Amino acid sequence: MSGFPVLGWILVGLGLAVVALQRRTIALGAVTAQALLLVAPALAGARDGGQLAAAIALAVRALALATVFLVVTHRTRDPRPVQQGSAPLRRVALAVALALALTWLVPHVGLPSRGPERVVLALVAFGLLVAATTAATVFQVLGIVLVENGLALAALQLPGTSWLIELGVAFDLTLIAVVASVFHERIFTEFGAGDTSALVTLRD
Amino acid sequence: MPDRVLLAEATVVVPAVFACALWWLPHRWTAAVARLGAALTAASALATAGLALGHPARPRVGDWIALDAAGGLLLAVIGFVGFVAVLASPAHLAVSASLLVGERRRHQAYYLVLFAFWATLLAVPVAGNLGAAWLLVEATTAASALLVGFNGRPRALEAGWKYLILTSLGLGVALLGVTMLAAGVPGGGLAALTWRALPRYAGDASTATCAYVLLVAGLAAKIGWAPVHNWLPDAHSEAPAPVSALLSAALLPGVLLVAWRCAQGVAPVVGPGVARGVLIGFGLTSMGTCVPFLSRPLAWKRLLAYSSLEHMGVIALGVGFGTPLALAGVAVHVVGHALAKSLGFVAVTPLLAHEPQAAVRAVGGIGRTRPGLGVTLGLSLGALAGLPPSPLFVSELLIIAGGFAAGLPWVAGAAALALALAFLGMIRALLETAAGEAPHRSVTRRLPGLRGVQALAVGCVPALLALAGAAPWLPATDIVRALAKGVS
Repeated sequence: MSGFPVLGWILVGLGLAVVALQRRTIALGAVTAQALLLVAPALAGARDGGQLAAAIALAVRALALATVFLVVTHRTRDPRPVQQGSAPLRRVALAVALALALTWLVPHVGLPSRGPERVVLALVAFGLLVAATTAATVFQVLGIVLVENGLALAALQLPGTSWLIELGVAFDLTLIAVVASVFHERIFTEFGAGDTSALVTLRD
Repeated sequence: MPDRVLLAEATVVVPAVFACALWWLPHRWTAAVARLGAALTAASALATAGLALGHPARPRVGDWIALDAAGGLLLAVIGFVGFVAVLASPAHLAVSASLLVGERRRHQAYYLVLFAFWATLLAVPVAGNLGAAWLLVEATTAASALLVGFNGRPRALEAGWKYLILTSLGLGVALLGVTMLAAGVPGGGLAALTWRALPRYAGDASTATCAYVLLVAGLAAKIGWAPVHNWLPDAHSEAPAPVSALLSAALLPGVLLVAWRCAQGVAPVVGPGVARGVLIGFGLTSMGTCVPFLSRPLAWKRLLAYSSLEHMGVIALGVGFGTPLALAGVAVHVVGHALAKSLGFVAVTPLLAHEPQAAVRAVGGIGRTRPGLGVTLGLSLGALAGLPPSPLFVSELLIIAGGFAAGLPWVAGAAALALALAFLGMIRALLETAAGEAPHRSVTRRLPGLRGVQALAVGCVPALLALAGAAPWLPATDIVRALAKGVS
């Protein structure tokens, strides 16, 4: 993939933006832009109908998720952004530390070059951190999407990845997002905000 | 002889067709059609399982479908538990409500998602490659999360959300492991992910080990192995009782089979010690983690949930030991656990009608106020605790003996200690539930679903005894040899 360093830095930058942001719509835009940026090289590298279908599925997945979440955020306007628990700079520092740790712990993903591997691991780390440390329901799901964007990049870099599996992953992720949006709306109705810090009754 | 692969496909297609049909049917027909769908699906699953277990030395392994002894065993379990869950659903729906779905289509929505979940679950043990298995496991999350949060109340929302996010994140980590493995198998494409291709991994062993650890750690979040089990007690306790039975007795061992197949596939690359060690580690951690929880008074469904944590740990340990004794124990344990856990969960509907406080705290003396229900609860708890002659007593003995046979006496000893402590906790709960002090309760009211639960209990007794009786002969059979060989 020519020009990967630039694309890689953009993907990482958008990932870090999701970590730092508090506004749902801007974070959603960053995650969607990330997925759409992956579509261009996927389309350019498609050598047969299957790979073309996988690239189109990636684009459809990105747009479908953006639509679902835009509708959901529009229908459930939080009176103020949900408190994230820690300051943006602290979250970014944690995310970078986790990405570096993951890059150090995972010796070699198996991709043709180390650059894309680092981007994949960074996106996985950012996604895990966003889902684990934020209280906003929408952000937790965006964390999962961030992880899957990283894995979509890995699939793009691998020669001969099964396009059927890629289609399936795109479908599954969309399904998870739709179910999450059902829960988000119900949580919003019940608690007045899409805030998981209200979900603390089940303890032993 | 009917074609096994065709029958396996029918086993998945039938409930999927009924899922769609049930959505369109008028409310008054849903229960009857659901029962018909359940009967056909269970019959198909049991027939497929019978063929797979009847010819264990000749598994059918293709790119998309793999049917071996382990898959057959799980098909039988998932088919049976799903059948029980569908039969128990009308009683549950009659006494429950849903804020997630409008009342007008509540029954249709419930059966649609239940059958979709069941169909996906039935496809997991026959998936012929790691990629398809991952996709199916992820798809079960979407369907089952909706069922966990079905009543739409705050506690159910919390449980469903936790389940959705934690298991999806775990499966994201597992997908990273899948990608890493796929990158190292020559040829690429779907063929690189088939169970038989995994041993041909050509990358370096450290990458394969890392991929395997990520894969199993990610799946552990779905299996409910400690320390990534946080969703399990909440989801099991808040889901509709029939769904809890499916989650505990069918979903968890179904996903565990995927982890087992991965271990068998990568063992030639990473070494059998590493492949088994990871499973043993998760097994022991889970068994140790459940002990303090089983030792304190818990609401009935949470008690059963922590018991699931224990039993998934026991099964992981048996798979990790990998000796004929241990694998025979695993086979008996999976089946015995499914019977006892189904009984325990479907008894929840009459239990809550008799004593609503059982939803939130431990209750005593059910055997005094409702002897029939008390005996059923006691039978379930006694079997799950491993009280002789429960088949789980025999299977646990086989697994511990298998640990000694594998040359891991310290691990087997630690497991025996954890089992003994968990047993004490479960027996205390059994005595309290069946014969403890009972507050005043109405005994004249007809309890919903009690007759069905008692019929299931009557059926379970000979099945459990037969299983316990057959267990000692199992280690020398072709089935156990096939379990050891796997599909790789």
